[in-house]
Amino acid sequence: MKSLKFVVVLVLVSILVTACQPSAAPSQAAVVSGAPDVCTSDAFGCAVFKPGEVVKLGMGAPMTGGNGSYGVDISQGASIAVTDAGDVKGWKFALDAQDDGGTAEGGASVANKFVTDPAIVAIAGHIFTDATRAAMPIYEKAGIPMLSPSNTVADLTTLGSAVFNRIAFSDTNQGNAAGDYLFNTLKVKDLAILHDGSSYGKGLADTVAAQFAKDGGTVVATQAITPGETDFTAVLSAVASKNPGAVYFGGYAAEGSILVNQMKQTGLENAVFFGDDGTYGVDFLTHVGANGEGAFATIAPASPDSAAKTAFNAAYLAQFGKEAGSLSPYTWAGYDSAAILANAVKAVAVVGSDGNLYVPRAALMAAVRATKDYVGLSGTFTCQSNGECNAGLPQFVVVQNGAWVAVQ
Amino acid sequence: MNTSLRKSIRPGATIGIVHIFFVLIGFNMLVAILFARVSGVKQPDAIPAPVYLMAYSITMGIWAGVAAAQKRKQEFRQVAFAGCVAGGFAGIMAGLLEFGLAIILVKNINVRDVLTVLSANFIKGTLFGMQPAMGVMVTVMLFALGGTLGGALVAFWNSTPFQAFLNRGIRFTKDSVQKAQGVTHGKNRLLWQIASISLLALAVVFLPLNWGSYWNYVLGTVGLYVVLGLGLNIAVGLSGQLVLGFIAFFAIGAYSMALLNAPLPYHLMWGFWPALVLGVLLAAVAGLLLGLPLMRLRGDYLAIVTLGFGEIIRILLKSDVLTAYTGGPRGIQNIGGPTIFGRPFVTDVDFMYLIIGAMLLAMFIYSRLQNSRTGRAWLAIREDETVARASGVNTVRYKLLALVIGAAFAGLAGAIFASRNQFTGPEEHSLMASINVLSLIIVGGLGSIPGTIMGAFALKGLPEILREFENYRLLAFGALLVAMMLSKPDGFIPSRRPKFQIPIQPETREAPKEQDHD
Amino acid sequence: MHALSLPTLAVKGARFKKVAHVFDLLRPILGAIVLAFIAYRLYQVLIVQQEYGADTWTRLLISGLIIGGVYALIAIGYTLVYGILFMINFAHGEVMMLGAYAGLFAFQAFNAIQVGGQAQTSFLNAYPVLAILLAFVIGMFISAAIGYFLEKIAYRPLRKAPRLVPLISAIGASIFLQNAAQLLFSPQLREVTNPDILRRGAGWTISINNANVIIPYTGVFTFVLSVLLLIALYIIVRKTRLGRSMRAVALDKKTAALMGVDVDRTISQTFIISGALAGAAGVMWGLHNGMVYFYVGFIPGIKAFTAAVLGGIGNLPGAMLGGLVLGIVESVGPAALGIDFQLKDVLAFVILIIVLTFRPSGLLGEVLAEEKV
Repeated sequence: MKSLKFVVVLVLVSILVTACQPSAAPSQAAVVSGAPDVCTSDAFGCAVFKPGEVVKLGMGAPMTGGNGSYGVDISQGASIAVTDAGDVKGWKFALDAQDDGGTAEGGASVANKFVTDPAIVAIAGHIFTDATRAAMPIYEKAGIPMLSPSNTVADLTTLGSAVFNRIAFSDTNQGNAAGDYLFNTLKVKDLAILHDGSSYGKGLADTVAAQFAKDGGTVVATQAITPGETDFTAVLSAVASKNPGAVYFGGYAAEGSILVNQMKQTGLENAVFFGDDGTYGVDFLTHVGANGEGAFATIAPASPDSAAKTAFNAAYLAQFGKEAGSLSPYTWAGYDSAAILANAVKAVAVVGSDGNLYVPRAALMAAVRATKDYVGLSGTFTCQSNGECNAGLPQFVVVQNGAWVAVQ
Repeated sequence: MNTSLRKSIRPGATIGIVHIFFVLIGFNMLVAILFARVSGVKQPDAIPAPVYLMAYSITMGIWAGVAAAQKRKQEFRQVAFAGCVAGGFAGIMAGLLEFGLAIILVKNINVRDVLTVLSANFIKGTLFGMQPAMGVMVTVMLFALGGTLGGALVAFWNSTPFQAFLNRGIRFTKDSVQKAQGVTHGKNRLLWQIASISLLALAVVFLPLNWGSYWNYVLGTVGLYVVLGLGLNIAVGLSGQLVLGFIAFFAIGAYSMALLNAPLPYHLMWGFWPALVLGVLLAAVAGLLLGLPLMRLRGDYLAIVTLGFGEIIRILLKSDVLTAYTGGPRGIQNIGGPTIFGRPFVTDVDFMYLIIGAMLLAMFIYSRLQNSRTGRAWLAIREDETVARASGVNTVRYKLLALVIGAAFAGLAGAIFASRNQFTGPEEHSLMASINVLSLIIVGGLGSIPGTIMGAFALKGLPEILREFENYRLLAFGALLVAMMLSKPDGFIPSRRPKFQIPIQPETREAPKEQDHD
Repeated sequence: MHALSLPTLAVKGARFKKVAHVFDLLRPILGAIVLAFIAYRLYQVLIVQQEYGADTWTRLLISGLIIGGVYALIAIGYTLVYGILFMINFAHGEVMMLGAYAGLFAFQAFNAIQVGGQAQTSFLNAYPVLAILLAFVIGMFISAAIGYFLEKIAYRPLRKAPRLVPLISAIGASIFLQNAAQLLFSPQLREVTNPDILRRGAGWTISINNANVIIPYTGVFTFVLSVLLLIALYIIVRKTRLGRSMRAVALDKKTAALMGVDVDRTISQTFIISGALAGAAGVMWGLHNGMVYFYVGFIPGIKAFTAAVLGGIGNLPGAMLGGLVLGIVESVGPAALGIDFQLKDVLAFVILIIVLTFRPSGLLGEVLAEEKV
């Protein structure tokens, strides 16, 4: 009986709590007088901003826990893009970066939070695959476009989603190119495959292994490491006994740099280390030092040090006290993703006759997907109809004299 | 130094240290931003206006003052003075910190490689945009002012007229409650029950329609954790077995749902209900299989073995070996939802009702079990296994039963969870999730149903409410978890059964009652 | 003894007897199956496939011993606290992480200080032994202080609460410390600057089967230091007055208090020692592995806890043994049984389950009361 009373009180309290929350449904029905025509014809209606309000870009990223550095870094990069984007017809942009822990549960809860906030027009994210998968159907229903800076898992763009776009490579694209390069250009015959057991690392490693075998090479060992650990000498010793000519690693710089260092102690001194877009960056170089000479990684083809990138690096250092790229390899992609979204918003936003700003949602989805030849900090992007915005061939880079150098 | 002064300086120093920590992680700015937001600024800058930072300083001062003035039965002036001393001392520490920061600013030393937040702008903001000397002075003054205010508040709270007023209020409430209770006797009691049940039913029916998809999602998760928590409570709270890897059973339920009801990898598409039933059964069987070899283990040994079991399940699910069967790290998506009478569940509201149903079912089964013969057997085992066995309780059977039923609850929650997200992957079922479930039943109060609900709110709802704290939310969550345990060691709503202690130590090792020399 | 052996009491009720019989039958069968499987796999890998040469086995053993040494040192901290308070100090890994940060910043500072007249070298390389010693002192001091305050703030008020309550408080403290480190020092992965004499990756080279096997200096240093600290601790616990109070408190707090032992102080001192060991482990971790960030304590913490239970929690030599066994199982086990290295944790936990099935209180068990630390 007592418990029943308690539940009654609890329910009443929760009614109060939720009553205080801003009302749910996004302001889609823009039948307000003064709304431009485009809002009535738009499948998802318009987001409405009164003068003085801000147009929000959402981001779901892991800010805490073992992968916290990715979310913190990418959101910091994106926040600079939001500042650089200036304003859209007098309305300012803002970034709303929420912690999703990189998990499906966190991703779905952040996505639900965003779709109930009428000021959110687009999502620069999510960052990790599990969170993205759970979030996609929710944005799909609300008509909010996503542009992920870092999701590479191949099948995300094959699901027929109208909202999901990415500027990261798909695993198929990067993996096939890497497999071919290893076999044809580096003339590697025996390849060892390592990955970090994440959907990113494993997806990439599997593609490389398949392509390499198809080209005629032999995959002599496939092993996975546990991300977050720091001693991989055992698994490297086991791999070394197979005498591979190269080690392909699908994963991130943290583990990649440890692997490069420990390869020198475990009988893999002569094997080439071949990484991916997750192992590229200054962070990798500082951790590997001289051990890193001859290690490969992948980037999107772009002028490596354009003026815009230099300016961004300076702004990042001044604002956050760290070198850009020292927390994760995706700083610049985070910037690009927010910048592209801001551009798309600028392209579709209209000021109504009542002085409010209207952002038609379905038109915005189309505008993001219509991005063409956008020159960003991490590459040049043209979106295809499936949401793949980075379909060009990847560029391979190698460490020479302590710096990344592009190879043909 | 006189003791009264020393007594005030101590809390002052504590708050001073807390303040220094806050500044070094940039928390003072966040508090100032929140103040700005509350007072109506829509989009405050990263460094908000000085007045909000001043408000922060006063708040810290008040905290120091309240801390110093508590437990003092002195006259108004003395208490206010104690608050002033505490606030002032904290202020002096804050001032010293700002002095150091000012040196960093003026000499242009780069400390950001170590302490990232200390940018020039941040330091200027912390000094209220004033000259360093001025800023330090203002800080000390604001802290002292806050301290006095805090002391005065406590003094006012303890003052005779206010207490008298308060007592009158309490007496009035008590009287009316008693009167109301008088009404609830006899026939009216039934009426009251019917009224509250129907109110509850109304709320359950209408609330999910109105609070939007975000709260439906968050509270749905809370509801699933209530089911999960009740399951774990059967093992830990009722039968006294410390199970740490409980999320493994949740994972088994989720993956049964996923494998049987998703297009890939098998395209079985059994539909929701058969998959749900099988998920529950499989989880129960897993509980039995895990329990069989472990019945001799107790306490922390059982804890670590079940933790290991949870990790084994997670690693196997993501491993290369099983990728072809479980989807590997990629997980399984497009998991189908339920259909009732040909009507598919599509919206968040539908799922909320499903979860409420599952919750009610779990609560019903739990309370029936608790008050049954089985429940009493569990109680006996929990209090002392050896004695229970000696009195003829088949401990092995009952312990296994507890594990099996608990696992079935977890399987139920897992299956619904996977179907609601339309996705499940191995990282969903990490150790931290297990720890969350264990924490929620302890925070709420071991063994009690309302306690479990409360705990689920605290563990799964609180981090969502703390989203206002941005990157500081888990920091605040960790601190609150400690604080909750310190203030309510038996949980929010402890079970009315006698308090329990997992009986793994002989009596002689219990802490003596009079050892507190502090 | 609480672990009263079950058969002696199994006289009640026919039904229970039956179940007990089933168990007594099950266990040898289970054991035989496991042993047969292991023997079969070993035969396959070692005789039939001959997958790895002697050089590889040596490498695997070396890395196992090094990892095991670190696990052992962290596990000692768990066991020490458990022996006295019967609580799992879940935040122990985080205490180690903060020690690793202290070591990192100490080395960084030593590297920045320039000494010597003409030939400018950093303090770190001019006086490497002193620098390493100082770094350890700093790391151990910081961790010990954190351990002390942790006990005082988060555990002491809960001394009389049910046993699970301090565990949850410890979990909260662990979350707090982890996020505090992330917010203070940013989530960046940092690189420890080693002195040249202990350069990471360098080591003695021995030749086996024409392959060079490197025994890294840092690894040997780690292992030797672990063993030395363990011996020192053992002496403290067995021979000193403090050790006697610790054992007394572990045995019976009430009687110990009556005999004039200051229980609170002894518990505080235990936390200080346990923290200092965690700090040493943290600095060592930094020297050997190089990487320090806020999450670095979590996985070793769980592993060390496993090691402590494997060896018999509350038992000092047990923690050492458990750590080494765990380290070796993790690195040699997957190779010996011919399974993926990804499954090394599965293997470790399966072994733990098997060990506990046959010895419900760990490898070295709960020693008799007077032997109890």
